[in-house]
Amino acid sequence: MKQTRNVFFTATSLGLLFCLARPAAATQAHGAPEGLFVHQLSHLFFIFAMAILIYWLRSRKLVRETGWRNIQYAALFFILWSLDAFLVHLLDEQFLLVQVTRIGPWQIKLDTPAGMGWLGGLYYLLKLDHLLCVPGLIFLYMGLRRLSPPETETEVPGKKTP
Amino acid sequence: MTVFASPIRLVDMAGSLVMIVFSLLCIRQALGLGRRHPDNIVWTYLLWLSVCLGIFALSRSGGHILKQFFLMADQGQMWQALQPYSGSLNTLLLTVAAAVTLFFNRSWQIYQQIITDKQALQTAHAKVLDLNETLEKRVQERTDALLQHEKQMAHADRLASIGQLSAGIAHEINNPLGIIQGYTQLLLRSEPADTQRHEDLSTILKHAKNCKSIVEDLLNFARRSKPSAAVVDIHEVIEDALIFLEHRAKTPEVEIHKQFQSDIPSLQIDEKKIKQVLINLVMNAKHAVGEKGQIAIRTEYHPDVHQVLIRVKDSGYGIEPKDLKRIFDPFFTTKATGEGTGLGLAVSYGIIKSHGGDIEVDSTPGSGTEFRVILPVNGFT
Repeated sequence: MKQTRNVFFTATSLGLLFCLARPAAATQAHGAPEGLFVHQLSHLFFIFAMAILIYWLRSRKLVRETGWRNIQYAALFFILWSLDAFLVHLLDEQFLLVQVTRIGPWQIKLDTPAGMGWLGGLYYLLKLDHLLCVPGLIFLYMGLRRLSPPETETEVPGKKTP
Repeated sequence: MTVFASPIRLVDMAGSLVMIVFSLLCIRQALGLGRRHPDNIVWTYLLWLSVCLGIFALSRSGGHILKQFFLMADQGQMWQALQPYSGSLNTLLLTVAAAVTLFFNRSWQIYQQIITDKQALQTAHAKVLDLNETLEKRVQERTDALLQHEKQMAHADRLASIGQLSAGIAHEINNPLGIIQGYTQLLLRSEPADTQRHEDLSTILKHAKNCKSIVEDLLNFARRSKPSAAVVDIHEVIEDALIFLEHRAKTPEVEIHKQFQSDIPSLQIDEKKIKQVLINLVMNAKHAVGEKGQIAIRTEYHPDVHQVLIRVKDSGYGIEPKDLKRIFDPFFTTKATGEGTGLGLAVSYGIIKSHGGDIEVDSTPGSGTEFRVILPVNGFT
């Protein structure tokens, strides 16, 4: 009896929903800033993941091994680089606080809001982001090399229980 | 503010080139690891991370280099056409690298658990295999031990029965023998020394004494005579027995090796009777080695069971298995007629048992015999 009532109620609800609904677009449109937002979110997500990796490597004492320690340094440099890139995108694309104009082949003009000239200097430094991501990648390579067992060895990396 | 673009461009171009080189190196390294350890989650993670970051570095750095070329060539619109693709790919790769990292953290724990379980399984499997292989052997060993124990029990029962019988007979014979010995001595007193009658009486007395000696041995075997306890050093008892034998049976070609443990406590024993046991054992050993050979006498103290062990080992031929189970029986001997009464080991058995100890034998034909006398440290009651 109760089951019959439930079936009747559900069928009525669905019928009303289909009959009374207005026409709607099947897919959502994606405007211009969405790509920038997604890119910024990917930077934040990457920072979060790298921070978790560092925490995890340290909490399991894996950083006692040189290889993992190098990978920890790589993660740290990637965090700094991702933060740097995030800020650059924030300043020149998202909030438009810094406007870059090419004056000639070797000079650029940095326009900042009144009273915020220091943003130009900060932006200039932040644009040198390779100074952070290159060491990160070098450390990653060093870590991989260090963790690689010799050809003859069949040792399992991280076999020590963290 | 107007600034020089050179440092930015220089760092951008040089950094991009270095990024491309190292990203390729990372991918190569990680691919090599992945190939060698395809089942290892750690290498799988590092492979994914390296590939993501490597492609990201290639895409980003390649993009940066192209951008600089397009800008230098005044072709900014070309870069603007390419930029969304490069940016989208960078976004995707950053997201994948981050997701893989978070996934790896969880996978690591599961992987470690799998490794631990695998090792436990391998250990258990090895144990099961070992048990399977040795089960039959173990059952056989237990069965043999049980049979041996049963044989020992049956032997002890048989000896106890013989002991009771011997004690009864010896007790009944002892009195008439005493009377025969007494009356013979009385008759001898009143008989001149050089007569045939005196000689006959002397023969009767000699054989009566022999019979009395055998009866005493039987009583010793039957443990009817209680040992008199005194605290003595067992090594002194052994030395006395050896000195006695040295005087009695000189065998220069037989070497006697003594190996005495230094910290053996004094024992509460009947010195005379234990000496008799040791003389019996060493005499048997000498008889076994013949003219030339070795006899080893070792003493050991086992504080855990409060026992002293005396080992008498000879380099003789050994005892045949069929004889081994009968050697403690009274009147059993492998010696020629007239060489032994067959009471030596039976008497020794009785004496040691009356001390609350035990006597054991190990012998294999061709490799000698070892007798072990076990005596309790705390004495006997």
